[in-house]
Amino acid sequence: MTYDLIIIGSGPAGYVAAIRAGQTGLKTLIIDRKYVGGMCLNWGCIPTKSLLESAKMMKKVRSAHEFGIAGIQADQLSFDWPQALKRTNQVVAKLTRGIEYLWKKNGVEFLKAEAKILSATQVQADKRIFEAKNILIATGSRPASQELFEGSIDLEDLYSLKELPKAPLLYGRGGHLIELAQFFALIGSNPVIIAADLPLIPPLDEALESFIQRKLKKDKIPVLTVAESQIKKGMILSKGQEYPFDKVLNVSYRAAVLPPMDLELELDNGYIKTDRSHETSVKGIYAAGDVSGKSFVAHAASAQAMEVIEAIQGIAPPQEQRRYPINIYTDPELAQIGLTESQIKAQGIPYEVNQHPLTANAKALAEGSSEGFIRVLYETKYHQVLGVQIAAEHATDLISEAGILMELEGTSYDLARTIHAHPTVAEIYMDAGEVE
Amino acid sequence: MRYIFKFPDIGEGLEEGKIIEWYVEKGQSIESGDPLVKMETDKVVTDIPSPKAGIIAVRYGGIGDTIKVGSALVEIDIQGVDGEAAVAQAKEQPEAPSKEAVDEEGFAGVVGTIEVAGDGAYLPSGDEGRPAKADAPKARKALATPVARAMAKDYGIDINEVTGTGPAGRVMKKDIETFSKSSASPKMQSPMSAALAQERTRTEPLSQIRKTIARNMLRSKQNTAHMSIMDEVEVSELVAARARINEALAEKGIRLSYLPFIIKAITMALKDHPLLNAELDMENERIIYKNYYNIGIAMDTAEGLVVPVIKDADGKSLIQLAKELSSLIEKAQERKLSLDDLRDGTFSITSYGSIGGYFAVPVIAYPQVAIFGIGRLSEKPIVKNHEIAIGQILPISMSVDHRIVDGAEVSRFLNDVLAYLKEPLLLLAHEGGTQ
Repeated sequence: MTYDLIIIGSGPAGYVAAIRAGQTGLKTLIIDRKYVGGMCLNWGCIPTKSLLESAKMMKKVRSAHEFGIAGIQADQLSFDWPQALKRTNQVVAKLTRGIEYLWKKNGVEFLKAEAKILSATQVQADKRIFEAKNILIATGSRPASQELFEGSIDLEDLYSLKELPKAPLLYGRGGHLIELAQFFALIGSNPVIIAADLPLIPPLDEALESFIQRKLKKDKIPVLTVAESQIKKGMILSKGQEYPFDKVLNVSYRAAVLPPMDLELELDNGYIKTDRSHETSVKGIYAAGDVSGKSFVAHAASAQAMEVIEAIQGIAPPQEQRRYPINIYTDPELAQIGLTESQIKAQGIPYEVNQHPLTANAKALAEGSSEGFIRVLYETKYHQVLGVQIAAEHATDLISEAGILMELEGTSYDLARTIHAHPTVAEIYMDAGEVE
Repeated sequence: MRYIFKFPDIGEGLEEGKIIEWYVEKGQSIESGDPLVKMETDKVVTDIPSPKAGIIAVRYGGIGDTIKVGSALVEIDIQGVDGEAAVAQAKEQPEAPSKEAVDEEGFAGVVGTIEVAGDGAYLPSGDEGRPAKADAPKARKALATPVARAMAKDYGIDINEVTGTGPAGRVMKKDIETFSKSSASPKMQSPMSAALAQERTRTEPLSQIRKTIARNMLRSKQNTAHMSIMDEVEVSELVAARARINEALAEKGIRLSYLPFIIKAITMALKDHPLLNAELDMENERIIYKNYYNIGIAMDTAEGLVVPVIKDADGKSLIQLAKELSSLIEKAQERKLSLDDLRDGTFSITSYGSIGGYFAVPVIAYPQVAIFGIGRLSEKPIVKNHEIAIGQILPISMSVDHRIVDGAEVSRFLNDVLAYLKEPLLLLAHEGGTQ
C-alpha cells in the first residue's frame, strides 16, 4: 500500500499537516517516536503556559490583600509542584485526545515508532517499510547541547523532577529562558540567568528587550553573561559577586532534530534547507517547522504545514513569507508582529513611532496590571502600520488586532478610527493610532 | 499546476462575448501576455491575453460560441508539466478538474492590459470610483485595503480596474504596484512589433489618462449621432465691454477672459433650450432634463485633455466664473483635480482657438448632448451700414447628439448664444430673474 503522505513528527507542523491532509483526501500516516503533539503540547508551549499560570496566580494571591481580600497569609504560601504538574498533565491530556480524535475523524493513521527515511518514497518504522508519494519531515528541534555545565537538564526533563531546584541556573537565550526564570522567581525560588549572549531575545524590538531587562532587574533576577562570568562548581562568579546554583537548566538556542536517513538532504546551518513550498533538495520530501530553521514558533510551523499540503496538491504558496506574531509569556507578556524599529531603519523606510504606556489605561489600572506599553510603527507616506510591539498582561492576545490590521494593510488612521470598547486594555490601540 | 483562466470582466456591465478567432492550440506553449483569443463583446472586439505562461491544456468553445463572463476559457498547465501529458490529462477530464488541483485565483494582470470601451466619467483623472449617473445604481465599491486605496489615488489608478489577489479578491498594495508596472511597460508587444519598434517606430505605453481619453472619445462617437454646426459672430461690443470691465476691475487685480462671458451666454440660452442640457436614457426610453447647469471646460495639460466642471454656472457672476476658472486651470496643470471637479457636467465648452484653429468639430462629452467650440478671435472685414469695416470675428462651432437635438433646435440655441455675445448688455437683461 502506498500512502500519499507520510509525516514524521507530530508537533504543530506534523499534526496540523496530518489533519489537513486527511481533510483533503490524502491517504496519510503520521509517525512519532514519543508523543502526540510534539514539544509544543508535551513540554513546550502548553505545559509551560499552564505552569506559568500557576506561578502568576501565586503572585496574585500574594497581593490579594491589596484588592481587599483579607485572611491570606502571604508568608504561608508555598508552591505545590506535584499539584501544578497534575493540572498541567490534565490540560495536555485533553489537548492530546483532541488531536487523536481529529486524526481518526479524518482517516489519518498514527504509528508510535522511530522512523527512518530510506528513500524519497520509503520510510521504515516499527520494522516495516512504508511506501509514500510524499514525505514531510516535522521532527522539530531541541536545545543545542552545551559544554559549559555538567549534568544540565533541559525543559523536557524538568517535568520528571520530584522536587524543583531552589536556585536554578538558567543557561541559554530566548523567550523560554525568561519565562522559566520568572516562573522560578514567582514561586519563590532564586533563579539566575546566564545568557549565552545579549540581547536576551534576539528577534524582539529593542524596546521590548530593554523593557524586559529592566523588569528582570526590578524583580531582582540576576542576568549574567557567559563572557563576564567565571563558572565554578555550584557557583558563578560575575563582576565580583557570587551566585550559587543547585541545578542547571539548558535553554540554549535550538538545533534541528534530524530523523535517521539513508539519503542526503541539503542542510543550511544544520537545518534542513527548503524552498518557498517547503520542499527539500529531494523532490517529494518536505520539511516544516523548527527542523527547517525558518521559524521557531508553533503557529508558524502549523502555517508552513498547511502550505506543504497545498504544495502537494499543486497550489503554490504566496511569494512572501507570511508574518506571524512572536509571543513571550513573561510577566507581563511581550508580543510583537511585523518589523522592528531597527529592521525599518535598515530598510531606509521613513517612519514614525506612536508609543503609549499602559499607566493611563483604565482597565489595566483597575486590574492592577498597568505595567507595559504599546508601540505602533508606521511609514510616513500612507501611514501603513509596519510593526506593533506590546508589553502588557495579556499582550499575547492583544497582538491579534495588529495581526489582522496588518494582514489587511491597515494604517495608523484605521486604528484611531475604529471604536474600541471602554474600558478595555485594547483601547491602547486607539491611543496609538492617528487621527486623520 | 493547472490554472483555469476564466473569461474576465473586461468592461462594466459586460456579460458575455463571442469567440471570433482562437490564436492558440492545445499543447501550445504560451507566454504571459500572449493573445489567446479574439472576442467580440457588445462594446468592443478585443484580444484576450493570457495571464500566465504555460501550456494550453484545454480550450473551451469554438468560433462563434458565446462565452459568459466567469466561464472557463482555457486551462493552462503551468511549470514543469510537459505538453503531451497535459493534453492527455485534458482529454481525460474535459470538465473542470477538481477544486483542489487548480489555482482559481483572479485574473492577475489581465484586465489592466485590455483596452475596453468601459463606462466611466467623461474624463476622470483616474481617481478611484466612478461617478454614478443620475439614475444609475451606484457601482459597488471595490474591496481593497486602506493602503491600496491611498496608493491608487496617489498613482491616479482607478482601483476598480485592478484585479485583487487578496482574500475574496481584495486589492492589495502589491496589486497596485503590479498594475502600475504593467500599465507602464509594453507587455502586449509581439516579438515582431518589438523588432519593428527598434527600427522605424517607437512605442510608448498609454498613460492612464490617455487610456481614459481614448475610451471616452470612442464611446462618444460610438454612442451618439454627432451633428455639427458652425457660425461666426461679430463681437466688437463684447471686446469693448470686456476691456472696460477689466479696466474697472484692474485695481482689484481681476482680469476676465472671454470665457466667463461665453459661459454666461450659454447658461442663459440653455434655460430656453433645455434639450441641450439633457441626457438621452435609451435603456429606459426617456430624456433626463437637468435643472442645473454644470459647464465642463476642456483644458489642455501636459498629460492630455481634462474637462473640469464649473458647478451651477448659471448662478455665478462673471467674476466668480473667472475665479473658478483660474482655480480649475491651476489644479489641472498640477494634476490636482478631484473626482468631484470632473464629474456631473451637463454641457461642455472647448476653446481650441486659444491654441489655434478657426473651426473644429468637437466631440461631445458623452452622455452630455452638446458641446460648444470657440475658435480664434480675429479682425476681419465686415459689412456694416453698407460699408466695409473692421470687425472682431469669433468663429464658433457646435456638436450635438442628433438623436435628441434636431438641427432647428440647435440653430435656435446658437442664435440666442450669439445674440448674447453680440450684445453683452443683454447678459444683464435677465440677471436676477428666473427666465
